[in-house]
Amino acid sequence: MIRFEGVTRRYGERAAVDHVTLEVAKGRLCVLLGESGSGKSTLLRMVNRLAEPSAGRVLLRGRDVAGIEPETLRRGIGYVIQSVGLFPHWQVAENIATVPRLLGWETGRIATRVDALLALVGLDPARFRDRYPHELSGGQAQRVGLARALAADPPVLLMDEPFSALDPGTRRDLQRELRRIHGETGKTILFVTHDVEEALALADLLAVLEDGRLIAQGRPAQVMEQDGERSVRRLFGEESMAFHRLATLPAQALAQPEDAEDDLPVLPAGASLKQALLLMLELGADRVAVLPDGPHGGGTLYWADLVRAA
Amino acid sequence: MRRPGLAGLGVNLAGFLLALWAAPRLPGLWRALFPEIARPVWESQGWFALLFEHLLLALGAAALATLIGLGAGIACTRGAGRRLRPVFDAAFALAQAIPPVAVIALALPLLGFGAAPTLLALVLYSALPVMRSTVTGLDAVPATVLDAARGLGMGSGRILARVELPLALPVIQAGLRVAVVLAIATTAVGAVAGAQCLGTPIVTGLANGNTAWVLQGAVFTAWLALIADQALRLGLAPPR
Repeated sequence: MIRFEGVTRRYGERAAVDHVTLEVAKGRLCVLLGESGSGKSTLLRMVNRLAEPSAGRVLLRGRDVAGIEPETLRRGIGYVIQSVGLFPHWQVAENIATVPRLLGWETGRIATRVDALLALVGLDPARFRDRYPHELSGGQAQRVGLARALAADPPVLLMDEPFSALDPGTRRDLQRELRRIHGETGKTILFVTHDVEEALALADLLAVLEDGRLIAQGRPAQVMEQDGERSVRRLFGEESMAFHRLATLPAQALAQPEDAEDDLPVLPAGASLKQALLLMLELGADRVAVLPDGPHGGGTLYWADLVRAA
Repeated sequence: MRRPGLAGLGVNLAGFLLALWAAPRLPGLWRALFPEIARPVWESQGWFALLFEHLLLALGAAALATLIGLGAGIACTRGAGRRLRPVFDAAFALAQAIPPVAVIALALPLLGFGAAPTLLALVLYSALPVMRSTVTGLDAVPATVLDAARGLGMGSGRILARVELPLALPVIQAGLRVAVVLAIATTAVGAVAGAQCLGTPIVTGLANGNTAWVLQGAVFTAWLALIADQALRLGLAPPR
Protein backbone atom coordinates (compact mmCIF):
# COMPACT_ATOMS: atom_id res chain seq x y z
CA MET A 1 0.00 0.00 0.00
CA ILE A 2 2.75 2.43 1.02
CA ARG A 3 6.32 1.85 -0.10
CA PHE A 4 9.36 3.95 0.69
CA GLU A 5 12.18 3.20 -1.75
CA GLY A 6 15.60 4.47 -0.67
CA VAL A 7 14.03 7.69 0.54
CA THR A 8 16.33 10.49 1.69
CA ARG A 9 15.53 14.02 2.80
CA ARG A 10 18.38 16.44 3.30
CA TYR A 11 18.14 19.83 4.96
CA GLY A 12 21.46 21.43 4.05
CA GLU A 13 24.19 19.00 5.07
CA ARG A 14 22.03 17.07 7.51
CA ALA A 15 19.95 14.11 6.38
CA ALA A 16 16.65 14.13 8.28
CA VAL A 17 15.73 10.89 6.55
CA ASP A 18 18.55 8.68 5.30
CA HIS A 19 17.96 5.94 2.70
CA VAL A 20 14.84 4.48 4.22
CA THR A 21 13.23 1.51 2.49
CA LEU A 22 10.04 0.26 4.07
CA GLU A 23 6.91 -1.44 2.84
CA VAL A 24 3.56 -1.18 4.63
CA ALA A 25 1.05 -3.73 3.36
CA LYS A 26 -2.65 -2.96 3.02
CA GLY A 27 -4.54 -2.98 6.30
CA ARG A 28 -1.45 -2.85 8.54
CA LEU A 29 -1.00 -0.45 11.42
CA CYS A 30 2.63 0.56 11.09
CA VAL A 31 4.18 2.56 13.93
CA LEU A 32 7.22 4.72 13.19
CA LEU A 33 9.02 4.89 16.50
CA GLY A 34 11.92 7.18 17.28
CA GLU A 35 13.08 10.08 19.39
CA SER A 36 12.54 13.67 18.32
CA GLY A 37 14.75 14.49 15.35
CA SER A 38 14.86 10.87 14.22
CA GLY A 39 13.08 11.79 10.98
CA LYS A 40 9.86 9.88 11.66
CA SER A 41 7.54 12.85 11.04
CA THR A 42 9.41 13.86 7.90
CA LEU A 43 9.06 10.31 6.61
CA LEU A 44 5.33 10.37 7.30
CA ARG A 45 4.87 13.79 5.67
CA MET A 46 6.46 12.53 2.46
CA VAL A 47 3.47 10.27 1.88
CA ASN A 48 1.10 13.24 1.40
CA ARG A 49 3.81 15.48 -0.02
CA LEU A 50 3.97 17.92 2.88
CA ALA A 51 7.67 17.06 2.57
CA GLU A 52 9.44 16.05 -0.62
CA PRO A 53 12.23 13.47 -0.77
CA SER A 54 15.66 14.68 -1.91
CA ALA A 55 16.30 11.20 -3.29
CA GLY A 56 14.33 7.98 -3.62
CA ARG A 57 10.58 7.77 -4.05
CA VAL A 58 7.39 7.07 -2.19
CA LEU A 59 4.81 4.78 -3.77
CA LEU A 60 1.16 4.74 -2.82
CA ARG A 61 -0.73 1.79 -4.28
CA GLY A 62 2.12 1.38 -6.74
CA ARG A 63 2.07 5.01 -7.93
CA ASP A 64 4.88 7.46 -7.28
CA VAL A 65 3.25 10.23 -5.21
CA ALA A 66 5.52 12.79 -6.92
CA GLY A 67 3.35 12.33 -10.01
CA ILE A 68 0.08 13.08 -8.21
CA GLU A 69 -1.13 16.66 -7.79
CA PRO A 70 -0.68 17.44 -4.03
CA GLU A 71 -4.25 18.58 -3.32
CA THR A 72 -5.78 15.54 -5.03
CA LEU A 73 -3.33 13.26 -3.26
CA ARG A 74 -4.09 14.73 0.18
CA ARG A 75 -7.87 14.52 -0.22
CA GLY A 76 -7.40 10.77 -0.56
CA ILE A 77 -5.30 10.39 2.60
CA GLY A 78 -6.47 10.95 6.17
CA TYR A 79 -4.19 13.22 8.20
CA VAL A 80 -4.17 13.61 11.99
CA ILE A 81 -1.63 15.73 13.90
CA GLN A 82 -0.64 16.15 17.52
CA SER A 83 -2.09 19.62 17.88
CA VAL A 84 -5.28 18.43 16.12
CA GLY A 85 -5.51 21.68 14.12
CA LEU A 86 -9.31 21.92 14.10
CA PHE A 87 -10.55 25.08 12.36
CA PRO A 88 -11.55 27.25 15.34
CA HIS A 89 -14.22 29.21 13.44
CA TRP A 90 -16.08 26.12 12.25
CA GLN A 91 -18.39 23.86 14.21
CA VAL A 92 -17.51 20.21 14.71
CA ALA A 93 -19.74 19.11 11.83
CA GLU A 94 -18.15 21.61 9.42
CA ASN A 95 -14.69 20.53 10.52
CA ILE A 96 -15.46 16.89 9.85
CA ALA A 97 -17.05 17.80 6.51
CA THR A 98 -13.90 19.56 5.23
CA VAL A 99 -12.77 16.94 2.74
CA PRO A 100 -16.26 15.80 1.60
CA ARG A 101 -17.01 19.46 0.83
CA LEU A 102 -13.76 19.79 -1.10
CA LEU A 103 -14.82 16.71 -3.05
CA GLY A 104 -18.22 18.29 -3.76
CA TRP A 105 -20.45 15.81 -1.91
CA GLU A 106 -24.09 16.80 -1.62
CA THR A 107 -25.34 18.21 1.69
CA GLY A 108 -27.53 15.28 2.73
CA ARG A 109 -24.77 12.75 2.19
CA ILE A 110 -22.33 14.91 4.18
CA ALA A 111 -24.72 15.24 7.14
CA THR A 112 -25.30 11.48 7.26
CA ARG A 113 -21.57 10.82 7.05
CA VAL A 114 -20.76 13.34 9.81
CA ASP A 115 -23.18 11.69 12.23
CA ALA A 116 -21.88 8.21 11.39
CA LEU A 117 -18.30 9.35 11.99
CA LEU A 118 -19.10 11.02 15.31
CA ALA A 119 -20.68 7.76 16.44
CA LEU A 120 -17.64 5.81 15.19
CA VAL A 121 -15.24 7.89 17.29
CA GLY A 122 -17.50 7.63 20.33
CA LEU A 123 -19.11 11.09 20.40
CA ASP A 124 -22.89 11.58 20.51
CA PRO A 125 -23.77 13.35 17.22
CA ALA A 126 -26.68 15.28 18.72
CA ARG A 127 -24.50 16.70 21.50
CA PHE A 128 -21.33 17.39 19.55
CA ARG A 129 -22.04 18.29 15.93
CA ASP A 130 -22.86 21.96 16.63
CA ARG A 131 -20.05 22.65 19.10
CA TYR A 132 -17.08 24.84 18.39
CA PRO A 133 -13.55 23.44 18.92
CA HIS A 134 -12.97 25.61 22.00
CA GLU A 135 -15.89 23.84 23.67
CA LEU A 136 -14.15 20.45 23.45
CA SER A 137 -11.69 18.73 25.79
CA GLY A 138 -8.34 17.61 24.38
CA GLY A 139 -9.52 14.04 23.99
CA GLN A 140 -12.80 15.06 22.34
CA ALA A 141 -10.96 17.39 19.97
CA GLN A 142 -8.65 14.59 18.87
CA ARG A 143 -11.64 12.29 18.35
CA VAL A 144 -13.06 14.97 16.05
CA GLY A 145 -9.64 15.22 14.37
CA LEU A 146 -9.77 11.49 13.73
CA ALA A 147 -13.33 11.72 12.39
CA ARG A 148 -12.26 14.55 10.08
CA ALA A 149 -9.40 12.44 8.75
CA LEU A 150 -11.74 9.51 8.09
CA ALA A 151 -14.49 11.64 6.52
CA ALA A 152 -14.04 10.79 2.86
CA ASP A 153 -13.21 7.16 3.72
CA PRO A 154 -9.55 7.31 2.61
CA PRO A 155 -7.78 3.93 2.45
CA VAL A 156 -4.71 5.39 4.18
CA LEU A 157 -4.42 7.30 7.44
CA LEU A 158 -1.35 9.29 8.51
CA MET A 159 -1.17 10.02 12.22
CA ASP A 160 1.62 12.26 13.54
CA GLU A 161 1.90 11.84 17.33
CA PRO A 162 -1.87 12.16 17.60
CA PHE A 163 -2.15 11.25 21.27
CA SER A 164 1.10 12.66 22.65
CA ALA A 165 -0.43 15.81 24.11
CA LEU A 166 -3.23 13.99 25.94
CA ASP A 167 -3.50 12.83 29.56
CA PRO A 168 -2.38 9.22 30.10
CA GLY A 169 -5.92 7.95 30.73
CA THR A 170 -7.37 9.69 27.67
CA ARG A 171 -4.40 8.48 25.65
CA ARG A 172 -5.03 4.83 26.57
CA ASP A 173 -8.75 5.24 25.76
CA LEU A 174 -7.95 6.63 22.34
CA GLN A 175 -5.35 3.93 21.67
CA ARG A 176 -8.03 1.33 22.38
CA GLU A 177 -10.50 3.19 20.13
CA LEU A 178 -7.93 3.40 17.34
CA ARG A 179 -7.30 -0.35 17.50
CA ARG A 180 -11.05 -0.92 17.34
CA ILE A 181 -11.52 1.50 14.43
CA HIS A 182 -8.55 -0.05 12.66
CA GLY A 183 -10.13 -3.46 13.09
CA GLU A 184 -13.54 -2.27 11.87
CA THR A 185 -12.38 -0.23 8.88
CA GLY A 186 -9.27 -2.09 7.73
CA LYS A 187 -7.44 1.18 6.99
CA THR A 188 -3.73 1.19 6.35
CA ILE A 189 -2.33 3.39 9.11
CA LEU A 190 1.06 5.01 9.47
CA PHE A 191 1.43 6.18 13.06
CA VAL A 192 4.31 8.28 14.40
CA THR A 193 5.19 8.24 18.09
CA HIS A 194 8.14 8.57 20.46
CA ASP A 195 6.28 6.62 23.17
CA VAL A 196 7.56 3.04 23.41
CA GLU A 197 4.53 1.67 25.24
CA GLU A 198 2.16 3.32 22.77
CA ALA A 199 4.12 1.82 19.89
CA LEU A 200 3.95 -1.68 21.36
CA ALA A 201 0.26 -1.30 22.22
CA LEU A 202 -0.69 -0.33 18.65
CA ALA A 203 1.78 -1.68 16.13
CA ASP A 204 1.35 -4.72 14.03
CA LEU A 205 4.36 -3.47 12.12
CA LEU A 206 7.04 -1.56 13.98
CA ALA A 207 9.71 0.56 12.30
CA VAL A 208 12.38 2.10 14.53
CA LEU A 209 14.22 5.20 13.36
CA GLU A 210 17.36 6.81 14.65
CA ASP A 211 19.08 9.84 13.09
CA GLY A 212 17.03 9.38 9.94
CA ARG A 213 18.01 5.74 9.49
CA LEU A 214 15.70 2.76 9.83
CA ILE A 215 17.45 0.62 12.45
CA ALA A 216 14.84 -2.09 12.95
CA GLN A 217 11.54 -3.19 11.45
CA GLY A 218 9.20 -6.09 11.74
CA ARG A 219 6.45 -7.33 14.01
CA PRO A 220 6.96 -5.92 17.51
CA ALA A 221 8.04 -9.33 18.86
CA GLN A 222 10.67 -9.61 16.10
CA VAL A 223 12.00 -6.12 16.79
CA MET A 224 12.31 -6.90 20.48
CA GLU A 225 14.33 -10.02 19.61
CA GLN A 226 16.80 -7.88 17.69
CA ASP A 227 18.12 -6.63 20.99
CA GLY A 228 21.67 -7.11 19.80
CA GLU A 229 21.18 -3.70 18.22
CA ARG A 230 22.48 -1.28 20.83
CA SER A 231 20.32 1.63 19.62
CA VAL A 232 17.14 -0.40 19.96
CA ARG A 233 18.10 -1.37 23.50
CA ARG A 234 18.81 2.26 24.32
CA LEU A 235 15.49 3.49 22.88
CA PHE A 236 13.43 0.94 24.78
CA GLY A 237 15.52 1.36 27.92
CA GLU A 238 18.13 -1.29 28.83
CA GLU A 239 16.51 -2.18 32.13
CA SER A 240 12.96 -2.44 30.72
CA MET A 241 13.72 -4.62 27.67
CA ALA A 242 12.31 -7.76 29.30
CA PHE A 243 9.15 -5.93 30.31
CA HIS A 244 8.58 -4.52 26.82
CA ARG A 245 9.28 -7.93 25.28
CA LEU A 246 6.50 -9.40 27.43
CA ALA A 247 4.15 -6.80 25.93
CA THR A 248 4.70 -8.28 22.46
CA LEU A 249 4.00 -11.93 23.40
CA PRO A 250 0.50 -13.41 23.76
CA ALA A 251 -0.25 -15.02 27.12
CA GLN A 252 -1.85 -18.05 25.48
CA ALA A 253 1.45 -19.19 23.97
CA LEU A 254 2.86 -20.02 27.40
CA ALA A 255 -0.27 -21.38 29.06
CA GLN A 256 -0.10 -25.02 30.24
CA PRO A 257 -2.98 -26.84 28.53
CA GLU A 258 -4.76 -27.99 31.63
CA ASP A 259 -8.12 -27.24 33.13
CA ALA A 260 -7.60 -24.21 35.31
CA GLU A 261 -8.69 -24.34 38.93
CA ASP A 262 -11.98 -22.55 39.42
CA ASP A 263 -10.81 -19.88 41.85
CA LEU A 264 -7.86 -18.60 39.78
CA PRO A 265 -7.84 -14.98 38.56
CA VAL A 266 -8.84 -14.90 34.87
CA LEU A 267 -6.88 -13.08 32.17
CA PRO A 268 -8.98 -11.57 29.35
CA ALA A 269 -8.73 -13.23 25.92
CA GLY A 270 -5.95 -11.86 23.71
CA ALA A 271 -3.98 -10.44 26.64
CA SER A 272 -0.20 -10.12 26.49
CA LEU A 273 2.32 -11.58 28.92
CA LYS A 274 2.83 -8.05 30.22
CA GLN A 275 -0.83 -7.87 31.23
CA ALA A 276 -0.49 -11.33 32.83
CA LEU A 277 2.54 -10.18 34.80
CA LEU A 278 0.74 -7.04 35.98
CA LEU A 279 -2.31 -9.06 37.01
CA MET A 280 -0.12 -11.47 39.03
CA LEU A 281 1.69 -8.59 40.72
CA GLU A 282 -1.58 -6.84 41.45
CA LEU A 283 -3.21 -9.90 43.04
CA GLY A 284 -0.08 -11.52 44.47
CA ALA A 285 -0.90 -14.69 42.51
CA ASP A 286 1.68 -17.12 41.12
CA ARG A 287 -0.62 -18.39 38.35
CA VAL A 288 -3.61 -17.14 36.35
CA ALA A 289 -6.25 -18.78 34.17
CA VAL A 290 -6.04 -18.02 30.45
CA LEU A 291 -9.20 -18.11 28.34
CA PRO A 292 -9.11 -19.89 24.99
CA ASP A 293 -8.72 -17.56 21.98
CA GLY A 294 -8.43 -18.47 18.31
CA PRO A 295 -5.76 -21.08 17.64
CA HIS A 296 -4.71 -21.25 21.27
CA GLY A 297 -6.53 -23.30 23.83
CA GLY A 298 -6.98 -21.99 27.34
CA GLY A 299 -5.07 -23.17 30.35
CA THR A 300 -3.04 -22.02 33.30
CA LEU A 301 -0.13 -19.59 33.07
CA TYR A 302 2.56 -20.07 35.73
CA TRP A 303 4.85 -17.34 37.13
CA ALA A 304 7.92 -19.51 36.51
CA ASP A 305 7.12 -19.91 32.79
CA LEU A 306 6.55 -16.19 32.46
CA VAL A 307 9.87 -15.31 34.07
CA ARG A 308 11.71 -17.74 31.78
CA ALA A 309 10.07 -16.17 28.71
CA ALA A 310 11.26 -12.69 29.62
CA MET B 1 -31.28 44.37 22.43
CA ARG B 2 -28.40 42.58 20.72
CA ARG B 3 -26.45 45.77 20.03
CA PRO B 4 -26.94 48.00 23.05
CA GLY B 5 -24.91 50.83 21.47
CA LEU B 6 -27.25 51.16 18.50
CA ALA B 7 -29.61 53.58 20.23
CA GLY B 8 -26.70 55.77 21.32
CA LEU B 9 -25.41 55.88 17.76
CA GLY B 10 -28.86 56.85 16.46
CA VAL B 11 -29.15 59.72 18.95
CA ASN B 12 -25.63 60.93 18.13
CA LEU B 13 -26.26 60.81 14.38
CA ALA B 14 -29.62 62.57 14.68
CA GLY B 15 -28.02 65.28 16.83
CA PHE B 16 -25.27 65.76 14.25
CA LEU B 17 -27.67 66.08 11.30
CA LEU B 18 -29.89 68.41 13.27
CA ALA B 19 -26.90 70.61 14.15
CA LEU B 20 -25.85 70.74 10.47
CA TRP B 21 -29.37 71.76 9.52
CA ALA B 22 -29.64 74.35 12.30
CA ALA B 23 -26.19 75.98 11.95
CA PRO B 24 -27.10 78.45 9.17
CA ARG B 25 -30.54 79.06 10.71
CA LEU B 26 -29.28 80.41 14.03
CA PRO B 27 -27.61 83.75 13.25
CA GLY B 28 -28.53 84.98 16.75
CA LEU B 29 -26.52 82.24 18.42
CA TRP B 30 -23.37 82.91 16.35
CA ARG B 31 -23.62 86.69 16.86
CA ALA B 32 -23.91 86.13 20.60
CA LEU B 33 -20.89 83.79 20.63
CA PHE B 34 -18.75 85.88 18.26
CA PRO B 35 -19.88 89.52 18.74
CA GLU B 36 -16.68 90.92 17.15
CA ILE B 37 -17.15 89.03 13.84
CA ALA B 38 -19.25 90.72 11.16
CA ARG B 39 -20.49 87.57 9.33
CA PRO B 40 -20.26 84.63 11.74
CA VAL B 41 -22.76 82.44 9.84
CA TRP B 42 -21.23 80.10 7.21
CA GLU B 43 -23.30 80.56 4.06
CA SER B 44 -20.89 80.00 1.16
CA GLN B 45 -21.86 76.33 0.73
CA GLY B 46 -24.55 74.14 2.26
CA TRP B 47 -23.31 71.98 5.17
CA PHE B 48 -24.91 68.87 3.70
CA ALA B 49 -23.11 69.37 0.38
CA LEU B 50 -19.83 69.70 2.28
CA LEU B 51 -20.65 66.60 4.34
CA PHE B 52 -21.35 64.62 1.17
CA GLU B 53 -18.08 65.69 -0.47
CA HIS B 54 -16.23 64.98 2.77
CA LEU B 55 -17.59 61.46 3.07
CA LEU B 56 -16.99 60.75 -0.60
CA LEU B 57 -13.34 61.73 -0.26
CA ALA B 58 -12.78 59.98 3.07
CA LEU B 59 -14.53 56.72 2.21
CA GLY B 60 -13.02 56.62 -1.27
CA ALA B 61 -9.58 57.04 0.26
CA ALA B 62 -10.31 54.43 2.93
CA ALA B 63 -11.49 51.98 0.27
CA LEU B 64 -8.32 52.48 -1.76
CA ALA B 65 -6.19 52.22 1.39
CA THR B 66 -7.97 48.98 2.26
CA LEU B 67 -7.27 47.48 -1.15
CA ILE B 68 -3.63 48.48 -1.01
CA GLY B 69 -3.07 47.63 2.66
CA LEU B 70 -4.90 44.30 2.47
CA GLY B 71 -3.10 43.35 -0.73
CA ALA B 72 0.30 44.27 0.68
CA GLY B 73 -0.45 42.52 3.97
CA ILE B 74 -1.46 39.32 2.21
CA ALA B 75 1.47 39.49 -0.21
CA CYS B 76 4.12 39.81 2.46
CA THR B 77 2.87 36.93 4.61
CA ARG B 78 3.30 34.19 2.01
CA GLY B 79 5.81 32.66 -0.35
CA ALA B 80 8.43 34.89 -1.88
CA GLY B 81 6.61 37.99 -0.55
CA ARG B 82 7.89 37.27 2.96
CA ARG B 83 11.26 38.70 1.97
CA LEU B 84 9.54 41.95 0.93
CA ARG B 85 8.05 42.41 4.37
CA PRO B 86 10.69 44.78 5.80
CA VAL B 87 10.53 46.82 2.58
CA PHE B 88 6.73 47.08 2.75
CA ASP B 89 6.88 47.88 6.44
CA ALA B 90 9.35 50.71 5.87
CA ALA B 91 7.49 52.07 2.83
CA PHE B 92 4.12 52.16 4.59
CA ALA B 93 5.59 53.63 7.76
CA LEU B 94 7.30 56.33 5.72
CA ALA B 95 4.06 57.06 3.88
CA GLN B 96 2.33 57.62 7.19
CA ALA B 97 5.19 59.60 8.67
CA ILE B 98 4.87 62.35 6.06
CA PRO B 99 2.12 64.74 7.23
CA PRO B 100 -0.84 64.76 4.79
CA VAL B 101 -0.53 68.51 4.42
CA ALA B 102 3.05 68.04 3.18
CA VAL B 103 1.94 65.34 0.76
CA ILE B 104 -0.68 67.71 -0.62
CA ALA B 105 1.85 70.50 -0.99
CA LEU B 106 4.32 68.20 -2.75
CA ALA B 107 1.65 66.73 -5.01
CA LEU B 108 0.10 70.04 -6.05
CA PRO B 109 2.47 70.68 -8.97
CA LEU B 110 1.77 67.20 -10.34
CA LEU B 111 -1.91 66.69 -9.61
CA GLY B 112 -3.16 70.25 -9.49
CA PHE B 113 -5.73 71.59 -7.02
CA GLY B 114 -8.80 69.74 -5.76
CA ALA B 115 -9.63 66.22 -4.78
CA ALA B 116 -6.73 64.34 -6.43
CA PRO B 117 -3.85 65.44 -4.14
CA THR B 118 -6.16 65.07 -1.12
CA LEU B 119 -7.04 61.52 -2.09
CA LEU B 120 -3.34 60.68 -2.50
CA ALA B 121 -2.49 62.11 0.91
CA LEU B 122 -5.35 60.26 2.61
CA VAL B 123 -4.50 56.92 1.01
CA LEU B 124 -0.85 57.21 1.99
CA TYR B 125 -1.87 58.15 5.51
CA SER B 126 -4.41 55.40 6.14
CA ALA B 127 -2.91 52.40 4.31
CA LEU B 128 -0.45 51.63 7.12
CA PRO B 129 -2.97 50.61 9.80
CA VAL B 130 -4.71 48.31 7.31
CA MET B 131 -1.47 46.65 6.28
CA ARG B 132 -0.21 46.31 9.85
CA SER B 133 -3.45 44.77 11.07
CA THR B 134 -3.62 42.41 8.10
CA VAL B 135 -0.09 41.17 8.76
CA THR B 136 -0.73 40.87 12.50
CA GLY B 137 -4.01 39.04 11.96
CA LEU B 138 -2.58 36.61 9.41
CA ASP B 139 0.52 35.97 11.54
CA ALA B 140 -1.70 35.00 14.46
CA VAL B 141 -3.37 32.14 12.57
CA PRO B 142 -1.94 29.02 14.26
CA ALA B 143 0.61 27.17 12.14
CA THR B 144 -1.00 23.87 13.15
CA VAL B 145 -4.32 24.94 11.64
CA LEU B 146 -2.54 25.78 8.39
CA ASP B 147 -0.72 22.43 8.46
CA ALA B 148 -4.02 20.63 8.94
CA ALA B 149 -5.63 22.64 6.13
CA ARG B 150 -2.81 21.76 3.74
CA GLY B 151 -2.79 18.14 4.86
CA LEU B 152 -6.51 17.82 4.17
CA GLY B 153 -5.97 18.97 0.60
CA MET B 154 -7.05 22.63 0.63
CA GLY B 155 -5.30 24.80 -1.98
CA SER B 156 -3.53 27.97 -0.91
CA GLY B 157 -6.23 30.28 -2.32
CA ARG B 158 -8.93 28.40 -0.47
CA ILE B 159 -6.89 28.36 2.74
CA LEU B 160 -6.56 32.16 2.49
CA ALA B 161 -10.24 32.76 1.81
CA ARG B 162 -11.82 30.12 4.06
CA VAL B 163 -9.37 29.85 6.94
CA GLU B 164 -6.80 32.65 7.19
CA LEU B 165 -8.91 35.75 6.42
CA PRO B 166 -11.90 34.66 8.55
CA LEU B 167 -9.59 33.97 11.50
CA ALA B 168 -7.71 37.24 10.99
CA LEU B 169 -10.89 39.25 10.45
CA PRO B 170 -11.35 40.71 13.96
CA VAL B 171 -7.81 42.13 13.87
CA ILE B 172 -8.15 43.39 10.29
CA GLN B 173 -11.45 45.07 11.16
CA ALA B 174 -9.77 46.94 13.99
CA GLY B 175 -7.22 48.25 11.47
CA LEU B 176 -9.99 49.22 9.05
CA ARG B 177 -11.71 51.19 11.76
CA VAL B 178 -8.54 53.12 12.49
CA ALA B 179 -8.06 53.77 8.76
CA VAL B 180 -11.61 55.06 8.24
CA VAL B 181 -11.52 57.29 11.30
CA LEU B 182 -8.10 58.64 10.31
CA ALA B 183 -9.34 59.33 6.79
CA ILE B 184 -12.48 61.12 7.97
CA ALA B 185 -10.61 63.25 10.47
CA THR B 186 -7.80 64.07 8.06
CA THR B 187 -9.93 64.85 5.00
CA ALA B 188 -10.40 68.36 6.39
CA VAL B 189 -6.79 69.09 5.37
CA GLY B 190 -7.90 68.69 1.75
CA ALA B 191 -9.47 72.13 1.93
CA VAL B 192 -5.91 73.53 1.67
CA ALA B 193 -5.79 72.13 -1.86
CA GLY B 194 -9.24 73.45 -2.60
CA ALA B 195 -11.13 70.17 -2.13
CA GLN B 196 -14.67 70.73 -0.92
CA CYS B 197 -15.17 69.20 2.51
CA LEU B 198 -15.95 70.02 6.13
CA GLY B 199 -12.45 71.54 6.29
CA THR B 200 -13.40 74.26 3.80
CA PRO B 201 -14.91 76.58 6.48
CA ILE B 202 -11.81 75.99 8.64
CA VAL B 203 -9.35 77.02 5.92
CA THR B 204 -11.50 79.89 4.70
CA GLY B 205 -12.04 81.06 8.27
CA LEU B 206 -8.30 80.95 8.99
CA ALA B 207 -7.59 82.97 5.86
CA ASN B 208 -10.16 85.60 6.80
CA GLY B 209 -9.65 85.69 10.56
CA ASN B 210 -13.17 84.30 11.02
CA THR B 211 -12.96 82.09 14.12
CA ALA B 212 -16.70 81.35 13.96
CA TRP B 213 -16.27 79.48 10.65
CA VAL B 214 -13.16 77.72 11.99
CA LEU B 215 -15.04 76.56 15.05
CA GLN B 216 -18.04 75.26 13.09
CA GLY B 217 -15.88 73.35 10.59
CA ALA B 218 -13.73 71.86 13.37
CA VAL B 219 -16.67 70.77 15.51
CA PHE B 220 -18.47 69.10 12.60
CA THR B 221 -15.31 67.32 11.39
CA ALA B 222 -14.52 65.94 14.83
CA TRP B 223 -18.16 65.01 15.43
CA LEU B 224 -18.30 63.08 12.15
CA ALA B 225 -15.10 61.17 13.00
CA LEU B 226 -16.55 60.21 16.39
CA ILE B 227 -19.77 58.99 14.80
CA ALA B 228 -17.78 56.92 12.31
CA ASP B 229 -15.74 55.36 15.12
CA GLN B 230 -18.89 54.58 17.08
CA ALA B 231 -20.61 53.07 14.05
CA LEU B 232 -17.64 50.91 13.09
CA ARG B 233 -17.25 49.61 16.62
CA LEU B 234 -20.87 48.47 16.47
CA GLY B 235 -20.41 46.96 13.05
CA LEU B 236 -17.56 44.69 14.19
CA ALA B 237 -18.35 41.05 14.59
CA PRO B 238 -18.02 40.15 18.29
CA PRO B 239 -14.88 37.98 18.65
CA ARG B 240 -15.73 34.33 19.06
